Amino acid sequence: MTVATLDVAIETTARSRQLSMRQTIALAKRSTFEIARQPALIAPSMFFPIFFAVLSASSFSRTTSIPGFPKVESFMQFTLASTIVQGVLFGSVTGAAALATDIEIGFFDRLLLAPTTRTGILLGRLAGSALFGFLQSAFFLAVLVPFHAPITAGIPGALVMVLSGGIVSLAIGAIMSSVAIRTGSAEAVQGAFPLLFVLLFFSSAFFPRETMSGAYKRIADINPISYLVEGLRALVLEGFTLSAVVRSLLVPTLICLAAILFALKELRRKLAAL
Amino acid sequence: MNTQLTTTPVATSIAMPTTMRSARGLAFRGIRNIRRLPSAFFPAMAMPVFTMIAFAGTFAAITRLPGFPTNRSVNWFMPLGICFGAAFSGIGLGFSTIRDIETRFYDRLLMSPAPRRSLIIGPLLTAWVRVAILCAFVIPMGMLLGVRFTSGLLGLFTLVVAAVGVSTISLGWGLGLAFRFRDMRGAAVMQLTMFVVLYLSSAQMPLPLMRGWLHNVARINPTTNILRLAREGLVLKTSPDYMSWSNTWGGLLAITGMATLTLVFARRGLNKLDK
Amino acid sequence: MNSFSSSHADPIVAQNLVRYFGDVKAVDGIDITVKTGEIFGFLGPNGAGKSTAVRMLTTLLRPTSGTATVAGFDVAKHPDEVRRRIGVALQDAAIDPLMTGTELLRLQAVLYGIPQAQMKNRASELLERVGLTAAADRRVGTYSGGMRRRLDLALALIHQPTVLFLDEPTTGLDPMSRMSLWEEVRRLNSEGTTVMLTTQYLEEADQLADRIAIIDAGKIVREGKPQDLKAGVGFPTLLITVPSDQTERAKAVLATFGDMRPTAEGSLGVGLRGGANVVTDVVRALDEASVRVQHLEINEPSLDDVFAEATGHRLEGAKV
Repeated sequence: MTVATLDVAIETTARSRQLSMRQTIALAKRSTFEIARQPALIAPSMFFPIFFAVLSASSFSRTTSIPGFPKVESFMQFTLASTIVQGVLFGSVTGAAALATDIEIGFFDRLLLAPTTRTGILLGRLAGSALFGFLQSAFFLAVLVPFHAPITAGIPGALVMVLSGGIVSLAIGAIMSSVAIRTGSAEAVQGAFPLLFVLLFFSSAFFPRETMSGAYKRIADINPISYLVEGLRALVLEGFTLSAVVRSLLVPTLICLAAILFALKELRRKLAAL
Repeated sequence: MNTQLTTTPVATSIAMPTTMRSARGLAFRGIRNIRRLPSAFFPAMAMPVFTMIAFAGTFAAITRLPGFPTNRSVNWFMPLGICFGAAFSGIGLGFSTIRDIETRFYDRLLMSPAPRRSLIIGPLLTAWVRVAILCAFVIPMGMLLGVRFTSGLLGLFTLVVAAVGVSTISLGWGLGLAFRFRDMRGAAVMQLTMFVVLYLSSAQMPLPLMRGWLHNVARINPTTNILRLAREGLVLKTSPDYMSWSNTWGGLLAITGMATLTLVFARRGLNKLDK
Repeated sequence: MNSFSSSHADPIVAQNLVRYFGDVKAVDGIDITVKTGEIFGFLGPNGAGKSTAVRMLTTLLRPTSGTATVAGFDVAKHPDEVRRRIGVALQDAAIDPLMTGTELLRLQAVLYGIPQAQMKNRASELLERVGLTAAADRRVGTYSGGMRRRLDLALALIHQPTVLFLDEPTTGLDPMSRMSLWEEVRRLNSEGTTVMLTTQYLEEADQLADRIAIIDAGKIVREGKPQDLKAGVGFPTLLITVPSDQTERAKAVLATFGDMRPTAEGSLGVGLRGGANVVTDVVRALDEASVRVQHLEINEPSLDDVFAEATGHRLEGAKV
């Protein structure tokens, strides 16, 4: 290769990376606006977690005296972490369902026909969900902390919780996107939602593992959601410790990386079949 | 098309359909659809089982609170699960009514001379059959998981009465919203309202052990009385909520009152359909 | 008006029927009288108010004002009496896809009070009549569009109504199915059933209806027998296509032979006062004016011409 040809090749690669970036950002903007323009879709994932938090705080206020229950100022303080996880779990299904709808109605084919970066199609869609996850987490903290639910880790802890919420949203969005790509059906994606619900319940999201017993406790012990929620809860109850930060960020990040890789693999498989 | 035909003369072309016959015809349709569209009925079956297992497991420790009416969390949460399932059995018929309205099948029912009340009684009969199936499935499963009736068959009876009552209330509510909204927005409102009404009660915690605003709301929410009725055969004999007339009449009154209101709501909505 | 049935009363009578939806006046004071034993056609484009009018006459909608009696009973005051006497097949075949044909007919029989002893035979007869015996025990969701329409018709006939309403019965059907349905409508009518038929198909109205009312924007613009309506338009229409730069010259020539008529874009039309005989004179005059005729055809008056003359525009979406 001559110097001139190499220069052209490098310039072409740089331009192509720039184009990919622009496309991904454009698709991310699209998915964000889509979510913002359909409040009816996101309202349940904003309303229900807060409703349950407020309900539980009143319903279970006396349970904080049960032996094995961690030392808390109020049940609301205990439930803060699970409210975030609940909200982002439910909210992140929306983006994947939208991807499935794109496949169903043929818009996905339109994206493929254009010289769009294939990875950008997926990441752009997930970016909207992740952003929504960040905003949801921040919203829940803003609404609930004033109700006897102080975060012992302070502002840094709150920031880690918001970051964690976004990463969880990204992770679940990627898992659901794999379902969307494989099935091409929004209904199938929505149908997978109850599994998340079950996963959430069979964990220490709503009550401490220390108070559980038998088979139920064993399930909660091996459920990764338990560790995710407990990490966030440690920031609220114990403070800004390394253990709390690692659990809050490491668990979702690992799940997120695995989920994105899997989703990309599904996408490559689908494209190869075309 | 066939040109040869012998016509059976219909007894009269000006026949008088009766309410119960028309209602039975519509109920058979609803029952048949349980088998033919199981995905529509599945949530109403899955929810009570899930509620029973998940809630009883997650919140098992609440039975250790002094004054808790039972020492078995499944005893406490199975009635809640059944009432949820009963509520969503009724609401599910509201969904299918919206579907019928959107596909114009409901026009066919409206154009028939069948008495209008049969369009409510028919789905009501379907709702009751759904509740019977639900109870027949969930209660044995509950017993396998450790549920024990402390007052024998009477406790089983009051539980089933409560479930039938809840399904009647939710059916009236679901139909009333279906007739007014005429599209799936009604479905969202049905679900949300039933959820909120059921939870703003002694759903998770007995009234004496509640504090704060929820206690004040649950105290006046008729659903609390219905849940008391449902649970009175499953709590400890030493509990003030154990089987007695004073724990029963409130639930029966709540069922009668709320069912009357919601069925009137449904009937008025039906009247608006052809305005 | 006497609201109780008399054997000599016209089966459908509407007087100044009006229906508003909010501020929109969908039906604007229509008067209709359908005689016993006739097929009455209600022709108009989409959105003209046909279906709204039918829904009022079949008790699905209350009129905002005006009165209507069907089978001798006021639709607003005695809707149940009306329902017992009419059969209706609506624009969308209103059927439950989860049920079989037999089940639907039986449910319909129950809702119309047909005695249990007669239900089975009646259902079987109707299925045979509409050619659905083989598919009777299949779920309706597996039926084709034509089969659903036929089932819809069977459902409308379960109680042997004296008045039958068919709302766009052949929309979406293939030509064979359409012909088949026309045959059935004629047979029903020959058996004594009064039929009110709404359609957007000119040929359907022309072929089937004894009398037609043409509706546009909620008002009836013409009413009468098809042949009389067409004769009322008078002259045949000459349609020509010319190069776009010669349009004005062509119009000036044509205008001397009769009144210009609305046509599809790209063509010119004139009602020939002298009839088909003057076609050669028209061609000669166009030639003398150096107009090059690319295409020429002559059409006898159609219901579309009737509509165009009454409203100033063609029946949009009308299928020939």
